[in-house]
Amino acid sequence: MKPGAYISGIGHAGLIGWLFFGPGFSADPLPFEVTEVAVISAEDFAVLTAGGQPSDPVIETAQPVTPVEDTPPEPAPAPVTPTEPAAPELAPPAEDTPPDVSQITTPPTAEVEDTPPAEPPAPALGQSATLVTGATVRPKPRPAPRVAPTPVAQPEPDADVADVAQEQTNSNDAAEVPVEEQDAAAPEAAATEIVTEAEKDERTEDAQVSAAPVTSTRPTSRPNRPAPSTQTQTAEDTANSVNDAIAEALGDADTTPAPQQPTGPPLTGGERDALRVAVSQCWNVGSLSSEALATTVVVAMSMTQDGKPVTNSIQLKSFSGGSESAANKAYQAARRAIIRCGANGYNLPNEKYDQWQEIEMTFNPAKMRLK
Amino acid sequence: MMKALSIFIAAFWAVVALTTTAVAQNGPLRIEITDGVIEPLPFAVPNFQPENAAAAELSQNIANVVAADLVGTGLFRQIGSDAFISQVSNFSAPIQYADWKAINAQALITGAVNVSGDGRMTVKFRVYDVFSNAELGDGLQFAGTTNGWRRMAHKVADAVYSRITGEGPYFDSRVVFVSETGPKNDRKKRLAIMDYDGQNTQFLTDSSAIVLAPRFSPTGDRVIYTSYASGFPRINVLDVASVGIRQLDMPGEMTFAPRFSQDGQSVVFSLSNGGNTDLYRMSFNGAAPTRLTSAPSIETAPSFSPDGQRIVFESDRSGSPQLYIMSANGGEAQRISFGEGRYGTPVWSPRGDLIAFTKQNKGRFHIGVMRTDGSEERLLTASFLDEGPSWSPNGRVIMFTRETQGANGAPALYSVDISGRNLKQVRTPNAASDPSWGPLQR
Repeated sequence: MKPGAYISGIGHAGLIGWLFFGPGFSADPLPFEVTEVAVISAEDFAVLTAGGQPSDPVIETAQPVTPVEDTPPEPAPAPVTPTEPAAPELAPPAEDTPPDVSQITTPPTAEVEDTPPAEPPAPALGQSATLVTGATVRPKPRPAPRVAPTPVAQPEPDADVADVAQEQTNSNDAAEVPVEEQDAAAPEAAATEIVTEAEKDERTEDAQVSAAPVTSTRPTSRPNRPAPSTQTQTAEDTANSVNDAIAEALGDADTTPAPQQPTGPPLTGGERDALRVAVSQCWNVGSLSSEALATTVVVAMSMTQDGKPVTNSIQLKSFSGGSESAANKAYQAARRAIIRCGANGYNLPNEKYDQWQEIEMTFNPAKMRLK
Repeated sequence: MMKALSIFIAAFWAVVALTTTAVAQNGPLRIEITDGVIEPLPFAVPNFQPENAAAAELSQNIANVVAADLVGTGLFRQIGSDAFISQVSNFSAPIQYADWKAINAQALITGAVNVSGDGRMTVKFRVYDVFSNAELGDGLQFAGTTNGWRRMAHKVADAVYSRITGEGPYFDSRVVFVSETGPKNDRKKRLAIMDYDGQNTQFLTDSSAIVLAPRFSPTGDRVIYTSYASGFPRINVLDVASVGIRQLDMPGEMTFAPRFSQDGQSVVFSLSNGGNTDLYRMSFNGAAPTRLTSAPSIETAPSFSPDGQRIVFESDRSGSPQLYIMSANGGEAQRISFGEGRYGTPVWSPRGDLIAFTKQNKGRFHIGVMRTDGSEERLLTASFLDEGPSWSPNGRVIMFTRETQGANGAPALYSVDISGRNLKQVRTPNAASDPSWGPLQR
């Protein structure tokens, strides 16, 4: 064997040995953070919180001290005992409660003995950091004195709800005819939804339990990618398709009869919404039959330049979802809405009169109907 | 390559601009209205015009009853006469629409009353859609005796109600119920009949025997009910005109929960024998009863569908009382109630689209409605004790029994719109329970 081979073998062996026994493969592991949490049930959490929130509980982080060379590693300091909160009635098992949050930094391998730092004692109940998926308790505002500079008279109490409006009366012994005492009452105002007696109870109960949201809607899934076109488009094809599109657009514009085309800028979304809201306020479906409430009607009308509907021009253009009789009732309600709220003219931009001279309104009671 | 791309981009934006302009200018402005308001429709009823002196009082009374009927639905709101700008002095005079629009009267009802010397009277009326400046339908006239002035007022209100809402009428109808007097531990029960609004109450039986669950026949001429006159529950049929009572001859230890078929020719009921209760059907022609169910559970509270083809009933065959539907001739039953709690006393709507029921859940009683397949269940009421729903002839209103809690608690009749609104008590002279809403009177 040649000396070169010996030298090479010794060199490689030395290198391998250095890698295994030296610091070659003993790089410090990257520090990482471990968070341990205790998951408790909603009932346990309710009991815990019902007993009163601990006043700023101290969550002490156990920090193992990096040992100094030639000195034994000191045990981790015991966590500071927090102020004992008001003891809850229901105590979860203490042994299952791990330390709250520990940030662990692994010391260098070369400088540590093979003994872990002493376990810190388990903290008392009430220190647990818990993962709560439900509602959190809203902090109570600090009370503050509220003193008005001048005394204010007590406001009039609200009237009770009753079928028939009645004024408040007080008994008057001096009166010739004795008047029975009664509280003021008034019928309920209009509503945009129907709440039954049964639902009222449920809503009240729900409101008492928690105002926090229980679930959230699942985010919609990402739409599928469009399938790539298998055709290779050449520059000539592109030019042809562009020419076709232009021709189509111009052709559409040409085929529409010129006199029926409004000109000028279209109504903005806000202007359309304002008209929609104005009509909605007068669209009363409270007196419609169940079938009429299931009927969508399209009503066409002409408008004067001051924003008023031309009464004689209002007509039922089409309907769907119900019989002709039901559509007629639905149309009457729609017609009343258009005329009533348009009596003083709708707030429409005069300079865009061409855009709203003719209007088609679709009255869709799907959200208002009895189910 | 870059040149072609530039041409393409420029052409693209040109097309977009042209297309947008074309769309924006195409046709009339289109708006979709999906949100409205739910509030009573304001209406005005000036006093009906008396055409002679004898009609003076009646004309005012009739106008009041018409207004009360409409307001009682919860769908209308009356505008007081003190708000009127113009008065209607003549039934044939033209209407000053502007004056009625000014007070936001959306419907106007005018009428006139004439009383002849022989005690007969005529009532005529017109309905106007004020904001349309037009009459809503043609004028109508009813004739009758002065004793029946309330019925004529109800008929006027029925016509107005139907013309404005599109619903069928129901004011000219009657309700049979159990009138209760005395303390809770010694309650006297009698069958009674009244107008739908609680007026004109008349007793049909005395209080010598306990009576339960009266049910009108489809034509309103008979009432079938359960009587304890013999010490055991037995089914009786009462003729409303003559107040004659006939006990149906049926086998079994106890028979109860009867209900007429839609043609009035047969009755379906529960029959208890040997501790087991099943449904039976019996014709009034004397034929033997036909057994419809044969389960070792309690089947009761049957009710026919309007077409007479099916029966909805209550059964605890699944362990708790639930609602089932089967053919009117018996056979396999299909469960339709699957919600929490116990369901009972189902009643098929006259329209055929809904089933009303009593539900007990979490210590509360509810009156609710559901589709005939059990879907879209809605609870309309909630209280200590609500039970026994009965449909109005048009299927829009439900009347039921509500009993208050405590030693002094007593049952009363309540009604509620199927939307869940307009829950109100029906005034009766005494405590009342078990209402059965009859058909429109003829």
